[in-house]
Amino acid sequence: MSNAKLGLLVAWPTFWTGFPVKLVLALLMLAAGVHPWEGAGLEALLVLSIPIDIWALGLCSRTVFLERLSVDPPKGTGLRLWGMWAVFSVVYLPLLFMIVGGAKSLAQSAVHATLHFVEENVIVIPIAEKISLELVMWGLPATIVLIVLVYGWLFGLGAVAQRFVRASAPVDGAFQDIVSKWDLLRIPRDQPLLLTAFTGSGVVLIFLFWGLLPVSTPHPHEEYEFIDVKKVEAKVEPKKVIQSAEQVLARAEATLKELEKDNPAGETPKAEKQAEAPEKAAPKAKPAASGAPGSSGREHNPADHTH
Amino acid sequence: MNGDTTNQPNVFEKVVDFVDERVGLKTIQAKMLNEPVPGGSRWAYAFGSCLLFIFIMQVVTGILLMFYYVPSTDHAYASTQYIIHEVDYGWFLLSYHFWGSSAMVVMVFAHMSQVFLWGAYKKPRELIWLVGLALFGLVMAFGFTGYLLPWDQRAYWATVVGVEIMDKTPVVGDFLSRFLKGGPTPGQMTLSRFFVIHVMILPAALMGLAGLHLFLFRKAGPAGPFRGTPDQIKAKTDYFFPRQVWKDIVAMATVFLIICTLTFIEPVVLLEEATPDPGDYHPEPEWYFLFLFQMLRLKIFAGEFGQFLGAVAIPGAFLGFLAALPFLDRSPERNIFKRPVALIGWIAIMAVILIFTVSAILNREFLD
Repeated sequence: MSNAKLGLLVAWPTFWTGFPVKLVLALLMLAAGVHPWEGAGLEALLVLSIPIDIWALGLCSRTVFLERLSVDPPKGTGLRLWGMWAVFSVVYLPLLFMIVGGAKSLAQSAVHATLHFVEENVIVIPIAEKISLELVMWGLPATIVLIVLVYGWLFGLGAVAQRFVRASAPVDGAFQDIVSKWDLLRIPRDQPLLLTAFTGSGVVLIFLFWGLLPVSTPHPHEEYEFIDVKKVEAKVEPKKVIQSAEQVLARAEATLKELEKDNPAGETPKAEKQAEAPEKAAPKAKPAASGAPGSSGREHNPADHTH
Repeated sequence: MNGDTTNQPNVFEKVVDFVDERVGLKTIQAKMLNEPVPGGSRWAYAFGSCLLFIFIMQVVTGILLMFYYVPSTDHAYASTQYIIHEVDYGWFLLSYHFWGSSAMVVMVFAHMSQVFLWGAYKKPRELIWLVGLALFGLVMAFGFTGYLLPWDQRAYWATVVGVEIMDKTPVVGDFLSRFLKGGPTPGQMTLSRFFVIHVMILPAALMGLAGLHLFLFRKAGPAGPFRGTPDQIKAKTDYFFPRQVWKDIVAMATVFLIICTLTFIEPVVLLEEATPDPGDYHPEPEWYFLFLFQMLRLKIFAGEFGQFLGAVAIPGAFLGFLAALPFLDRSPERNIFKRPVALIGWIAIMAVILIFTVSAILNREFLD
């Protein structure tokens, strides 16, 4: 098996085996208000990731060695392989980032200059086309450089892993037995025990998570203002209602008597005035409904917003 | 009287036996868990289970949100703000629901890609593929209808753009856009209709089609790996329980953790309340439609016919091609490395989606 393929076959499942466990830690940190991508949070996450990676690498390398190469690696492979991979990656990965970053900057400036020249001398390219064209023109060489360097990294990881393959003991027996052996590495035979442990861990983590989770949003809207509309209870007291109704009636009766005294012939000057000016007396008409809520806007054309 | 009680069933076993006698519990359990998985369990088979899990979580969080959300143009925005700011853990539930919808789209893409690359759409699994395509359409419709509900500027204008793209569909486009809007511009009728479609029609349709999808899948059986000799595949063949079940559980837990992490990193923050005037806001659809939106900005898709071509004809033809794929590709070969056209086609489509999505993001700085 080639070095790069062996590196990929071990590194890929190792990443995915350790990832959920690290994610649990990151999520608990986030819930507790500690940022796991910077400062002390990042340092803590990196330190906690070391034992997880060693465990994941030991498990996955042994599985790959058994399944693909029919060899059983010696004990402690996870720890020793992790150490060698860590040293190699600490040297290689910063170089990878530097070279890819440099290639990207170089490609971007070359593409920018080329398109500028084309626009000055040949044809003006519309914005949307120019954005995608530029992206493809610098993205393609940068991606090729990245792929080549990632291949080199996997080649290096595989070359280191090959030393452990050579030190491993060949496994005899039928294919079925080997399959059972590497499969049982990952799924223990005692299912109820595994189920209980998994569920128990899940319940503990859920309680921990909800305990740490902020009750209200950590990112409040700057214009949000809570208006507490308390329900006012209308208390109906029959005696008071009757008394106030009687008072209203008494006042109306007194007013009526005074009017009868002032106008014994029954003249109605106010009514005449109203008849002379009906416009003033008529209630103001409500303006015509402007349609359904939100219907007062102009017709929208998506082309208005495409540039 | 027999004093030996060691073989007597306990209370739990008696309850199980009681239910089993009436509903055939053990038969159902055996059918569910003892299905052979050719070539053994694989992580690649976990996408479907993850989709089901995400959907269930969307239903749960959606029901909880509905306790507070008011689907009227007067209260939709205020009630959403209330959920975010006043309801205990409301911000988390809403953000989880928001990111859950994105996770569903990503998972549908991953699941469809896996089925395509594994050649699992071929005979006798054509119907599974077709029902899966319909489910893909439903997931997109979920995202589209749910996006309007918070009733902020982003929601309003994404809907305006989406409905007007729909309007360009021949024959049914005009009816569909008028039906969805319920008036000349989005308003109360639009919100009511989107809400009903989102919480009533689409969940019912999705549950029905997902059931049919699973039934057809169990009928045809898993396709298994596309590589390996029959002896090797037979040696690795295993039952659905426990290995695939465990892989599914770990994959679902990982998806749950990723969605939770995203809710912390980027929780939902509303823009201003929806108005028919976009103001400084540049309308754009949800991120998974961005590539299409960016494509429509190209000169080649300018004008009435160009917009129809880019917004309706090409995507429609592509979906039609996907529907016809199992009937066009009749070769029994499933190994993707021996199907160069399929492999190159898949890479090209993914590259186009990626390039135009990134272009749409870069395009934002030219708009401000």
